Amino acid sequence: MLTNTGPVAKLYLSIIDDVIESMRELFLDEGLEDRVLDDLRHLWESKMMQSKAMEDFRKNNINSSNFVLQLPANYSQTDQEVTASVVIPASQNIHSFPRLKSNSETLATFSLPAGLAYPVQIPAGVTLQTASGQLYKVNVPVVVTQAAAGQQPVSQPTRKVTEWREAAAPQSAAAPSNTTHPQEVEPSSVPASSVTQPPHPKTNLPPGQESSLPQQPQVPAAETSQLQGTHSPEPEVILEEDEPSPQPEPVNLSMTASPRSQLLDFQISTEEALTQTAQLKARDIDDILKEVIEEEREKAERARSLAPAKTDNQSEAVVGLDLDYNYSELSDIVQLDGAAGNSDIEEEDGVPLEENDFLGIINAEAIKALQEGDGSSDGNSISTSSDSEGADELANVVEEDPLNSGDDVIEQDIPDLFDTDNVIVCQYDKIHRSKNRWKFHLKDGVMCYGGRDYVFSKAVGEAECM
Amino acid sequence: MAYQLYRNTTLGNSLQESLDELIQTQQITPQLALQVLLQFDKAINTALANRVRNRVNFRGSLNTYRFCDNVWTFVLNDVEFREVTELVKVDKVKIVACDGKSRNYK
Repeated sequence: MLTNTGPVAKLYLSIIDDVIESMRELFLDEGLEDRVLDDLRHLWESKMMQSKAMEDFRKNNINSSNFVLQLPANYSQTDQEVTASVVIPASQNIHSFPRLKSNSETLATFSLPAGLAYPVQIPAGVTLQTASGQLYKVNVPVVVTQAAAGQQPVSQPTRKVTEWREAAAPQSAAAPSNTTHPQEVEPSSVPASSVTQPPHPKTNLPPGQESSLPQQPQVPAAETSQLQGTHSPEPEVILEEDEPSPQPEPVNLSMTASPRSQLLDFQISTEEALTQTAQLKARDIDDILKEVIEEEREKAERARSLAPAKTDNQSEAVVGLDLDYNYSELSDIVQLDGAAGNSDIEEEDGVPLEENDFLGIINAEAIKALQEGDGSSDGNSISTSSDSEGADELANVVEEDPLNSGDDVIEQDIPDLFDTDNVIVCQYDKIHRSKNRWKFHLKDGVMCYGGRDYVFSKAVGEAECM
Repeated sequence: MAYQLYRNTTLGNSLQESLDELIQTQQITPQLALQVLLQFDKAINTALANRVRNRVNFRGSLNTYRFCDNVWTFVLNDVEFREVTELVKVDKVKIVACDGKSRNYK
């Protein structure tokens, strides 16, 4: 395909050149400066660079970026999943990941392409190395945002938020030493990115760097200090096992919006504890965040325990999305606002409540499945009396119409049917049909599928209509 | 006039977005943006006709077809695109094709 060798990129650039040059005179006639035209060109080219269509062009122009991705030795095991999950919001897709498989501890180094726009989602299993040399191994998908110096990192609500309870037991990790000024952010130590997940405990961090912590981690730090003082180890937070490392993290650590609210609550309650503790040495960020997440997870579990027994569809929907559920239950904590307060929930109310609980977690397709399942299960399970049961059965019969239920073939929504990212825009020379066999003779087309762009001067195709 | 068909491509969409940004910052007028798009139509039609020389084969199953205003729209499933160098499979693709014989303004 042309994209692999770069001719598509060259074609696109030549088209851009043609358009810009042909518009130059017109722009001048309008009294506009050349700067405007150059702006247009820069905007256009930058958007094209960011898109996957120009990936081959980018490959040739990979410069040193702020991030160097290092793949672990066992990366090949999950490369398929990771490739699918590498979704960079600027619609980039780093295809270079799965092609390199290292069998030893040698690290495969990739530089993120130039022109990468933040935020960036990094899949699990990669090790990030910032420009300043710090290493972070990512266990779960990470969202990397760009934080200006002195500002709080923008929290990115993402469904692939940290699953801290899956992280290993708190082990040695960077411990911030600069904890006396929670709001202090050192511009020099803030690279152009902030990781919205605590690094894996096994990361190696170079010493001698001061940490710059946002306000939130200070609070759980205070809390853990309190725990340390009382020597009441929770099973998840094993502070004593930490290797107190004064090596702080130079990267801003921030949490997503949902833990933040939790931390704010902690902050209020632990303000006094803060004043009591003189210093927070050897603080394990993983421990702190893990603790917070545990609290919220317990909340979520309490909410779940209040719900009645799930229907099959619900359980399927939940199980099917187990992965996302684990990641997103933390980010969606704020949405579980009905369960905590309403402990006395009737069964009938529990069903819609459950739906509300999971709305934030389950995607639209699952919601449909839930509704369909609820519709049928409500009719079967809630009705107990024979009269109502008979009425429900009759309603089901009328709704489903078993006599003709098999005749309906259209199961897809028409609007969704035509909604796809894989599009071919072209001209047809000849479209031929014989019974149910179609033949296409197309020309001068631009194709976009699999996230990449292709062009053709002629395309011949066959298809059978079902 | 050239087909405006190619405005819904990566290239065309990024141009439209860029123009929208300039319009919002009032650096250009909408009329001028329209002129740019018309020029883009000409440029891409010419480029595709003259500067591209390759052939692609594909095979799949036809989900839907539509012919309206001399425009064919197909939705194919489980399609394999085959070129000399490689093979790409997609589960769903939409084809929008204008008449290649006549140069009608669309």
